Amino acid sequence: MGVFLKADGINKSFGGVQALKNVSFALEPGEVHALIGENGAGKSTLGKIIAGVLRPDSGQIVLDGHETSIQRPTDAQKLGISIIFQELDLFPNLTVAENIAIGNLKLEKSPFVSFRQLALHCRPFLDQVGLDCTADTVLKELSIGQMQLVAIARSLSMDARVIVMDEATSSLTEDAVGNLFDVIGQLKGKGVSIVYVSHKMDEIFRIADRITVLRDGSYIGTRPSREADADELIQMMVGRELSGKGRAEGHATTSRILEIADLSTDRLEEVSFTLHRGEVLGIAGLVGSGRSEIGAALFGLDKISGGTISLKNSPYSPSSPRDAVRKGIGLLPEDRKLMGLIAQMSVKQNMSLASLDGCSSGGWVEEAQESSKYLAAAKQTRLKTAGPDVEVTSLSGGNQQKVLVGRWLMVSPDVYFLDDPTRGVDVGAKEDIYAIIEELAAAGKGILFVSSELPELLRCCDRIMVMHNGRMTGIMDAMSATQEGIMSLAMAMEGAAE
Amino acid sequence: MKKTIQLLSVILISGVILSFLAGCGGKGDTEAEKFLVVFSQCNNAEPYRATQNKRMNELFSKQPDVDLAIYDGQADAGKQISQIENAIRQKPHLLIVAPLQRDSLTKVMGEAVAAGIPTICLERDILEPNYTTFIRSDNFKIGRLAGQWIVDHLTKKHGEPKGNMVELHGSKGVEGAINRHGGCADVLKEHPNIKVVHSATANWFQPEAMDRMTEALNANPSGIDVVYAHNDPMAYGAYLSAKEKGREKEMVFVGVDGLTHEGVKYVHEGVLGVTFVYPLCVDKAVEIGTKMLRDPSFTPEKEYSIESSMILPENAAKILGEAAE
Amino acid sequence: MKDRFLAVLKTYKGPLVLVGIFLVAVLISPRTTRGEIIFLGLGNLTDMLRAITPIAIMSLSMTFVILTAGIDLSVGSMLALSGVVTGTLLVEWDPGLLPSVQIGTAIISAIVACGLVGMLNGVLIATLGIQPFIVTLAAMIGVRGLALWFSNNERIGLGVGSDVAGSFGDMFSGKWLMIGTFLVLATVFAVVLRRTVFGRYVRAVGDNALASRYAGLPLRRVQIAVYTMSGLLAGIAGVLLCARTTTGDPNAGITSELDAIAVVVIGGTSLAGGKGSIIGTINGALIIGILTNILGLRNVDFNMQLMLKALIIIVAVALQRKKVSN
Repeated sequence: MGVFLKADGINKSFGGVQALKNVSFALEPGEVHALIGENGAGKSTLGKIIAGVLRPDSGQIVLDGHETSIQRPTDAQKLGISIIFQELDLFPNLTVAENIAIGNLKLEKSPFVSFRQLALHCRPFLDQVGLDCTADTVLKELSIGQMQLVAIARSLSMDARVIVMDEATSSLTEDAVGNLFDVIGQLKGKGVSIVYVSHKMDEIFRIADRITVLRDGSYIGTRPSREADADELIQMMVGRELSGKGRAEGHATTSRILEIADLSTDRLEEVSFTLHRGEVLGIAGLVGSGRSEIGAALFGLDKISGGTISLKNSPYSPSSPRDAVRKGIGLLPEDRKLMGLIAQMSVKQNMSLASLDGCSSGGWVEEAQESSKYLAAAKQTRLKTAGPDVEVTSLSGGNQQKVLVGRWLMVSPDVYFLDDPTRGVDVGAKEDIYAIIEELAAAGKGILFVSSELPELLRCCDRIMVMHNGRMTGIMDAMSATQEGIMSLAMAMEGAAE
Repeated sequence: MKKTIQLLSVILISGVILSFLAGCGGKGDTEAEKFLVVFSQCNNAEPYRATQNKRMNELFSKQPDVDLAIYDGQADAGKQISQIENAIRQKPHLLIVAPLQRDSLTKVMGEAVAAGIPTICLERDILEPNYTTFIRSDNFKIGRLAGQWIVDHLTKKHGEPKGNMVELHGSKGVEGAINRHGGCADVLKEHPNIKVVHSATANWFQPEAMDRMTEALNANPSGIDVVYAHNDPMAYGAYLSAKEKGREKEMVFVGVDGLTHEGVKYVHEGVLGVTFVYPLCVDKAVEIGTKMLRDPSFTPEKEYSIESSMILPENAAKILGEAAE
Repeated sequence: MKDRFLAVLKTYKGPLVLVGIFLVAVLISPRTTRGEIIFLGLGNLTDMLRAITPIAIMSLSMTFVILTAGIDLSVGSMLALSGVVTGTLLVEWDPGLLPSVQIGTAIISAIVACGLVGMLNGVLIATLGIQPFIVTLAAMIGVRGLALWFSNNERIGLGVGSDVAGSFGDMFSGKWLMIGTFLVLATVFAVVLRRTVFGRYVRAVGDNALASRYAGLPLRRVQIAVYTMSGLLAGIAGVLLCARTTTGDPNAGITSELDAIAVVVIGGTSLAGGKGSIIGTINGALIIGILTNILGLRNVDFNMQLMLKALIIIVAVALQRKKVSN
């Protein structure tokens, strides 16, 4: 099969940073072509340029042997190229049919909308992606996985020949991922090509035909996935050997720092566990299983309806996040952008935000004190930044996450609740975050570590608890745990109930 | 660097537009042989004051060597004060001020006089005589005229001075409303059988007068003889409300101001029984002001009072005819 | 050298508009018979500053409110409330106190009354979670009613005599007192925003309230504080305006909340919250002040002035807009 879409010598910079340096990329009909790389490698940027969301500074997109001049997404759509974002660009309050039809050039000839016609128009596409719901369902009633399918149906309704998927599975459950891959397989059979932007190695091996690796905005290489192996790809991505795997000796003591007994909230049912000083306790489970909700209860965000918590051997019931921070709990939220960063503030001000009480006297910020504490935390997190005063949004995702980790290092609480701290973070930053967790444990802190990635839980934790449906379904030593064992506990309740 | 160039050009262009607009809008090139007259109007938005402005423009435009600038205080005392300060800096040959409030303008007009600027205070009084001359019309007198007309009308209707009256007030605390009410009340207190059965504030506005009059009509299902409104738009609004209920023949409507396109027209159409001209004072102000500008030996009186006149159906047609010419 | 110049240009766009307008004002200003530029006269410049003082004072606290992604529509009504409280206590109250004590009591009562209204706004916004626009819209209507009721719909004239009320008018309408009050408040607000923990919180809360909550910041206290400050400053502005117009006018400041918002916006503060500065707001106030002054000196037709002001608002904001990323 021949190449039908080619990106040639693409350059793109944002401000002073060159995001893509003379990158070329070729796509064959009916192939799933994965674009991988660390965060900031330029893979999303390339995807967006192909779909016309961004315009390259120089370089060409060649389609069917013709040079194109794609100025905006609608130009790309006319050529049969569409994109599905990580944060779906759908309208939550419109119906499925409206979401599929909106912006569709062919349907906008009449100013009036007939719902029956819309539904008829959308049906075949919904069938194609195997979405089992009526066309007049309001979008926000669907799960994220189903929404993703709506987005794909929308692309299909626009006669897409190329679909760019940007981190498509980052918020999907395991089931939904499988479903999505089935749909991708079918599309492939019909000659649709998929550009699959991701950093999840296991998925890529499951789905991709070919894999292109980018690093620091440069093209590194393309491998057929049958011939590639994970270690080689990781090395291509990071350009260096990763430090040794597996957890060294733990630091857990027998001194209890946090004891939770029969804790219930609107979203939790009778959860009990104990955390010791120096211990890293992993929390596994699917999104919505109750793993983040433990943090919400501990941090004074959710109202506690039953059970007791004891922190450092005294009863604890937080009235607000502020109260929780004062009493010695820090929470790194799961959504960096929404719940973490103050976009208009500098790197330093973002880091010191939660600990200003400690770098001030009489309400005045002591800038010298703030700076020295910042420097210490920046050093500990191995933060890469152009300086303390640059805007935090100028950093890569991994470094932004380090800023938020650093925010809590500056506060230095007794208990850290880290909610998926490595989500959307590149490999190098992940390693740095693991190292910080290790250091905190060594310093005698208690750490609750939520993650979707089982290998990292197995690697970093002393014990792992598993959540399902607001309940704890198991707790085990990391040494004896397996991925399969954890997964089955995370799903188990359904099986047991039936 | 493209952006910076864009930026620079936007600044340049806006600068040019600004100076162009300022240049063509400006009338105040202080050439030696021209006279600069500044009129500080307290609020252009009222029809009476818009008419004042128009008349002043008409009269001064007959004198080609006079540049007239009219400022709009927008019914905001702070703004009017600033505008007069601004005028003082330009050292006009004549300053005419129609003050918004008695208290607020006293000081700044004193500053104008102290700066040696001949200053005419138009129509409304201020606390201290900080002006060269005061050209006024007398609202209290107008109120008395209206009261007397009402007494005569009711005597004719009932054979004796008795009957029921609705009074619609202008904005509370404003001199015009106080004195138009006071003058009328001064006459009516001699005639205890004329009763004010309803009294409401409509803030000079026709729409508010319609609402207040509807309430008055509902409260008094019959027997209203006279509606006395402190200005013509309110009288007209009262008429519309009465008409809506089919009761406009039951009573007679009395207004004040007598602007050609409002009160005089209403009287001519039979909507109002009578209106009393509240003199614009502008003709007199221009007459006296022109003398002050051109005749160094002329010393104006400290105060000129302009008489009101009564507009009845008999003379309304004639006035409208004159205005149409 | 050229690059540095351009960089400076890029960073300071707001002041650039100010300098531009100042230069244009100097160029087109009328001259006295002796050839002096009237606009540049000390008397004229201080006139200009005093004229914008009430709005400029309110725009300082409005900057804080807008930084928290809020808005305060009630400042115009609070301005009127302050004026009538001051006026009533000076004219209709005869406590037999020393004049200075009576004046002090009147001023403090007026400012405190407005501060309480502002605090109520803040409490409603912070605890009931009603949008600031709605709460302060209600306050704008209700406080106007309060001012009218308190003054019995009447303007309270202070007079220009040498009694308590008159001497208050003389004392507090002084040019340097008014301008000085503004300068002191502006300095305080600028320092608070830049140097204090509270200032940092104000910006964080406005930029990302959820993230601020997750960082354990005292969200409610910040909101209550900024609306209280807004009330206090509207109160101060009301006292000064009352002195200046020697009237406590319940109808004062009917659209001045919008003027204050315009000043803040021209100063480059984003209505979306989180981004802005007091320096910018001072800059915005000067732009509006100079524009009004020079257009007045040139006798530009008033309707034309309004159109020009609209143009300046758009140009100033467009220049300071953060570049949209592609």
